[in-house]
This record gives sequence, C-alpha cells and structure tokens, in this order.
Amino acid sequence: MATDNANAGGFGEVSRVRGIVFEYLSFGASVFGLVALGVLLVYVSIDAFDLANASPEWLLTYFLTLVVPFLAFCLYSANDSEVTRRALAALGGGLVAVAALFTAIEAVVAPIPRLNWQLAYLFVVAAPVAAYLAYVGSRGRVAAVGFGLLGRLVGGAAIGLAVGTLFLVFDELVWFLAYTFGVVPAAALYAYGRWRAADRAATAAIPVGLVGLVTAVFLRRVVTVYPSDLVIYLWTIAIPVAAVGAFLVVDRSGRTVGIVVAGLPLTVATAGGFLAAGAGLSAPTVLLVLVLAGVPTAVYVSRVIEVGDGIVGLGLPILLAAGVAAGALIVEAWGVPAPDPWLDLGYVTEAPSRTPEEAGLYPAIVGSVIIIALVAVLSFVLGVGTSVFLEEYTPESGVLGSLTRLLQINIANLAAIPSVVYGLLGLGLFANLLGFGFGTAVTVALTLSLLILPITIISAQEAIRSVPDDLRRGSDAMGATRWQTTKNVVLPEAMPGIFTGTILALGRAIGETAPLIMVGAATTVFSAPSSLFSRFSAMPMQIYAWANFPQADFRYGVVAAGVITLLVILIGMNGTAILLRNRAERGN
Amino acid sequence: MAPSQNLDAEGITRRQSLAALAGAGALGLAGCTQSTGNGGDGGDGSGDGSGSLSGSINIAGSSTVFPLMSAILEDFAEQHPDVDPDISQTGSGGGFSNYFCVGETDFNNASRPIQPEEEELCGENDVEYIELVAATDALTIVVNPEADWIDSLTIEELASIWRSDAVETWDEVRDDFPNEEIERFGAADTSGTYDYFIENVMGDEGHTDDYSATEKDNAIAEGVAGSEYAIGYFGFAYYFQNPDQLKALEIDSGDGPVEPNLETAASGEYSPLSRSLFTYPSMESLGEEHIAEFARYFVEQTTNEDLVAGDVGYVPATEETQEEQMQKLEDAIEEAQG
Repeated sequence: MATDNANAGGFGEVSRVRGIVFEYLSFGASVFGLVALGVLLVYVSIDAFDLANASPEWLLTYFLTLVVPFLAFCLYSANDSEVTRRALAALGGGLVAVAALFTAIEAVVAPIPRLNWQLAYLFVVAAPVAAYLAYVGSRGRVAAVGFGLLGRLVGGAAIGLAVGTLFLVFDELVWFLAYTFGVVPAAALYAYGRWRAADRAATAAIPVGLVGLVTAVFLRRVVTVYPSDLVIYLWTIAIPVAAVGAFLVVDRSGRTVGIVVAGLPLTVATAGGFLAAGAGLSAPTVLLVLVLAGVPTAVYVSRVIEVGDGIVGLGLPILLAAGVAAGALIVEAWGVPAPDPWLDLGYVTEAPSRTPEEAGLYPAIVGSVIIIALVAVLSFVLGVGTSVFLEEYTPESGVLGSLTRLLQINIANLAAIPSVVYGLLGLGLFANLLGFGFGTAVTVALTLSLLILPITIISAQEAIRSVPDDLRRGSDAMGATRWQTTKNVVLPEAMPGIFTGTILALGRAIGETAPLIMVGAATTVFSAPSSLFSRFSAMPMQIYAWANFPQADFRYGVVAAGVITLLVILIGMNGTAILLRNRAERGN
Repeated sequence: MAPSQNLDAEGITRRQSLAALAGAGALGLAGCTQSTGNGGDGGDGSGDGSGSLSGSINIAGSSTVFPLMSAILEDFAEQHPDVDPDISQTGSGGGFSNYFCVGETDFNNASRPIQPEEEELCGENDVEYIELVAATDALTIVVNPEADWIDSLTIEELASIWRSDAVETWDEVRDDFPNEEIERFGAADTSGTYDYFIENVMGDEGHTDDYSATEKDNAIAEGVAGSEYAIGYFGFAYYFQNPDQLKALEIDSGDGPVEPNLETAASGEYSPLSRSLFTYPSMESLGEEHIAEFARYFVEQTTNEDLVAGDVGYVPATEETQEEQMQKLEDAIEEAQG
C-alpha cells in the first residue's frame, strides 16, 4: 500500500501527485464493491431478522448480555493494553460519531429508510470491532481454545445435519449392508496388516471391501429384516466416529480418558436419539448431530486439559449461551418489545406456504444440499482427473501435443459459455436422451457439474503446474513410476490449490437458477425429496418465486430470510472446504 | 500443537483399548437390538396399509395461476402427506410446448385458453386433456398514485396508448391530459396476459414495442410507482394486495366507468378486462387415483372465498360454474379410469 518515497527527491512533484491519485483511485475501486455489498447485506439482514422493528431497549439488552461479554473475552485473551485502549476508543468514539452523523444526515439530506442510528452503530462500528477483536484475540491461547471449541460444536452439528439430509435420498439399508460386509472387514484387515506388518493382509483389504460392497447390493434385494434406523446409524456412524475419537486420545491420555471421550458423547447421543423419537423428531438426525458435534468436542476438551494452557477459553460456549439466556430472561421479565424474525426455526423446518408467516424453505434447503453434495463429488473427480491427465500424461509436442492444446483452448472457451446454454445441454442430454428425468436431482447435479467443470479443471491445472518440476525429477530419480510420482508428490503438493478452485466453483453452482429452470426443476415442492429421481426444488428457485409474490411480506421478509439461509449454507460449505485445504497445506 | 506427552508408566496398549471399545460397542449394539422387533420399517414407502393416496403430481404453466394453484396444492399436500406435488412457473405457452404436450406434466396452468398450435402439438404426442376454469382475474390498468389528472379511460383510449402505432404523449389520448410523454410497463410476449390484452383491447392493431416488458408484476409496479406519467397493466392480485402503492383506473366500455374489484369482475361488469384462468389436466394422468382426487379437490376449492379472494386475490368461481366443471371432470375421470 505505502508508496516508496525513498527516491521522491529525484522524481520531482509531478510523479508524486500521480502516484497518490493512483493510490486513492485504486483504494476507491477496491472499496466500492465491498461497500455496495455491505449495504445490501445489512439491509437483507435487517429484513430477515425484522431488526427495523427491534426496540432500542431490546438491542441494548442483547448488546450488554451477548456482545459486551464476547468483546471482553477477546480482550482478555489478547491481554494487550494497547488493543484494549484502541477498542474502547473505537466503540466510544464510534457511538458518538455514528449518532451525530446519522442525525445530521436525517435532518439535512433525507431520512434513511428502515435504519436507525442504533442499528447503524451495530453494523458500522460494533460488528467490525468485534471481528477485529476476534482476530486479535484468537492469537492468544484462551480465545484460540474458545473458538476451536465453538467451531467443533457448530461444525460437527452442521455436518451431522448434512449427513442426515443425505440419507433422505440415499438408502440407509444399502449403506448398512455395505458398511457391515465391505467397510468393516476391509478396515479390520488393513488395521491387522499394519499392526502385524503383514503386507498381504493390508493388500487384501481393497478386494475384500469391493466384494463386500457387491454382496451388499445383492443382499439388499434378498434380506427383508433390518435393525431399526437408530441402530443402523449407531453401528455405522456413531460407533466408528467415537472409536476414532478414542484412538486419538488413548495414546496421550490413557485408557480411562479414552473411554470417557468416546463413551460420554455416544451415551448422550444414543439417549438423545431415543428421546427424540419420543418427541416426534427424527431420531437418526438427532443422533448424528450429537455424535458428530460431541466426539470432536470431547477430544478437543481432553487435549486442551492435557496441555493445560488456555483452559479458561473452554468457557466461551457457556458464556455465549448464558448471554442469550440472560438476554431472553430480561426481555421476558421487563416486557421489552422484541422483533419477530422471518428467519426462525419454523422457516428452516417447514414447507412453503401461501401465508408469509408460515412460509418455510425446508424442501428447497434439502434439495440444494443434496444437489451440491453430488456436484462437489462429480466435479472434483472429473476435474482432478482431467487436469492430471492434461498436465502429467499428455506430451507437449508432436501431433498429440497440438491435440492437447486444442483441448485446452476448448476447455477455456467452455468456461465462458452462459449458464442457460448448459441448461439446454442438460435438458437435451440428461433429461431427454439419457432419460434421467425432468428436474430430478441427478439431471440437475450433472448439469451443474458440467457447468463448473471448466473452472475446476483450469484451477486444478494451475495448481498442478505450480508444483516445481524439481520435485517430479527428484521422484523420478528415486525410481518412482509416473503414477507414484503423481500420487505421492504432485497431488499432495497441488491439493490446496485444487481445493481453492473447487470451492469457488461450488459457490457459483449453489446459486445458479437459469440452468435449473431449463432442465425443469420445480419452483415449489412441499416435502423433502425421497430419492435422487424425485422432482427437486432448490433455494434460488424458491427465492425467485417468492420475489414475485404480490404480498410485500414475501418480497421483503421471506425473500431476505431465504437469502440469508443461502449465504449461511454457502459459508458453511466454504468453511468445510477451507478447513480441508488448510489441513492439506499443513500436511505438506 | 502437542508439547507435553504424558507417558503413562504402564502404557495402555492399542490392543487393550481396542478390546475395551469393541466390548462397549457390542454392549451398545446388544442394548439396542430390542428395537429390532419392528424391523423392516425401511422399505421404499410402499407399506402404507390404510389405502391412503400416494404418488407425485407435476404441474407447470402460467405464473398468473401459480399463486392460486400452489395455495391449493399446499392444503392438499397437508391432507395427504404421501402425495408429493411439485409446481413450476413456466408461462402458459412455455408450459404447453415444453412440458405438457410432450407428456411430462400432469397439469398445465394457463391464463388464456389453449391455442391451435398447442392443440396440434398435444395431438401429435397423443396427449389428451380437458379444460377446467380455475378462477376469474381482472386485468388491472394502473397509474402512479400522484396522477390526479386521470381516473378512467375508455377502451378506445386504452387501445391508443398500447397499439402498435401508439400515441407519444398523454394529451394525444385525451385533450385535457398533460403534454407529457407516456411511459409504458407491461407483460412480456411469452405471457398469457400479453395475449389476452391484445385480443380484448387492441384487436388487430397489435401491441406497441415501445414499453418495458417483464414477467414480474412487482417490476411493473415499481416502474409505474417511479413516474407520474407512467401506465402499466397486470393481473388483479398484485393491486389487491398492495392497494395503496398504485392507482387502478376505472374502465369505460360504453356503460360508464367501472372500477376493478371482486364484485365487478364476478358479475362481468368489468368487461372486457375480466378473464378466466384455466388449468388443463391430461386424461392419462386423471386415470391415476391421487391425481383425480386432487383435480376434484381443486374444483371444490375454486369457490373458496377465503383462499381464492382473500389469500391470492382472484375472483372465486360461482356455484354454477363449479357444478358444471365438476360434472365435466367426473365424466373425464370415468372415461380415463373406465
């Protein structure tokens, strides 16, 4: 950012002015888009959470019970008097500045719709300060522990929900058989081979697993009696996850801790599953959420206690939960008028409706999650496969070399084709010719995979190309085959870059509407899809339809809530991918 | 990440912990096998002994009929949880040519009767169908609420604004209107509303190209709300739900100006701009019990004032029309299931 002034004397005044003007112009250019997007998001959140109707007392209550303790927690972790001074100055000075500026604009220029100075303060000052402090605080051990714990709780629950959603369309009975007869024997063989250094057993694992999978598909048609859903999920997911958690802990902390770390979440989750069944909730989903959030949390807690540094940070979730509870209590006790958010539990668990208050996005959320999971797998496999072939296996000269270049140019051109055209392709190829059906998950996922494939390929190629040739030559010199070099050297080195490209491409796929319309995806469905070949709706389709409804409550409140939901899921998806990427980077 | 490794003196081997875990897992599994008694609950949803309806219903077509149809679907889906309906808005014509007449959908909604080319296409693919009247809509002409110089238009004046060689300024429409340019906002040519408007207002004179065309009612509303000299037309529902945002013009077709509302549209006074909305079930689909049942339910609901008028903003059918439609439907169902 800073201009280099060392030679300023030698160039005279003119070049300095140009440089400064250029600097500010480029600053303006970079800020313009962010500010516009920020304003949009602020208004969308105000609509989605009905903040325009939030009384100042309500805002103050939660500011004091939730935001202030969080800021104090971050400041405590940062343990830096300079940061504390600056944060307090920004919060205090911002309060005066925003209130004065806001009143002045309202009085002199024009009233600002759907905003008051308290909200402006929240979005313009409090939110950035909180983000800054969270960043500074997380460099201290206490907040790092707090965020780590919070991330495992939230992330685990999200993954549990996603897995539960996927089993709405995938047959859990096939999975049960495949797991029992394929995965378990294979894993056992492999573990035995590694443990006894018996290579033959380890090598046999893959064929045994494959035979088990085929057996499972066959058995699914024959066997008619199965354990209940809860037992299936317990056996195939909860117990393995708990076992992995225990293994991670046992070495370091001993058997007792290992049993507690695996057993406690498992017991809680099983009990939760049975209780949920009684309460009319989906028992498997509750079990999955509790196990996938509980086991990583327990492992993390045991590790933090073992290390003995920053244990205070473990209190962050309790602090936040207590803040919410205290706020709710105060609001209830003093009768503070509370806003009625459009985005609430009913919105994400219920079907669309003609009345805005009852409208929900659940079937569309499920549709989007399933589609995006399929697209992620398809485009990752196809994209990485293509790019490895193009970069590692094709010759660079001769006839084949020019063919490769032709292929390259075509792939680059495909990236620029409008999405509607891909929709037509999907309609003709997948829906009509191959008979996957109009608007089914398979058709939609294949179409969207094709749509983002060029982007995935190009970014994966860049990542593979950026692996230094020295590494490949080194591997060759050790006598490795091309396959070994690719598997052991190139792909691990390129994986972070490949993940980055895939994340960006998936972000585009989840928001696409035009190809979905073309392949005949439904605007509205009223129940979650039950198979990959039933008709689907996706979040952008439903949001687009609502934006056209005559009632103002739909066009503002319900649509805004949909936009926020879409963004949250997008962020969750990207967060998962970023975690995977960071892990791959650390692996290097 | 892991600075201090606590080395246990005895050291728990992996074998021991594995054994412990396996034991715990087996115990857990054994504890839960009691619930296996009801085994075989999985299946693929075919085991619902009570004989309730199940299956899917695919609907596409007009975006004007969409709110009405999806409101009725919502209630039907609530009463029959095993029925799995879906609905898309494709425009009347898009729905016929891309989905209905190639046999992909069970119903097609339309804001105008099916056209000869579409009948031909359906015929080529052996798709038979019947026509059901869904409700009545009153095409509403709106201007900016600030425009206090205008309250009504005759059909001829309206045609002079929208025909293909349309007038440029308001004072050419009527002498005492201001000398300002007309800004027009109307339906896109894929829309049934566009076809209906031409047929009943301009006739052979066609539709002007000099206007902002859109399928979205709220885009028309925002456009008209943005200028004092703008005019637009769309279905009644939007105006019904947002009466303060825009001003609806009274229409004079020879017997004095009539304002658009539920009564004048139902009685036929608001002519020629009140129109019927349709849905077309295919005969083949009516052969399936759950679709026949939904079609019956649909015709029953067309007289439901709370739903049709209150929630959606269209004019409910009269009892007579309903009886007529029901008779037609029952005949068709009998033939289809025969």
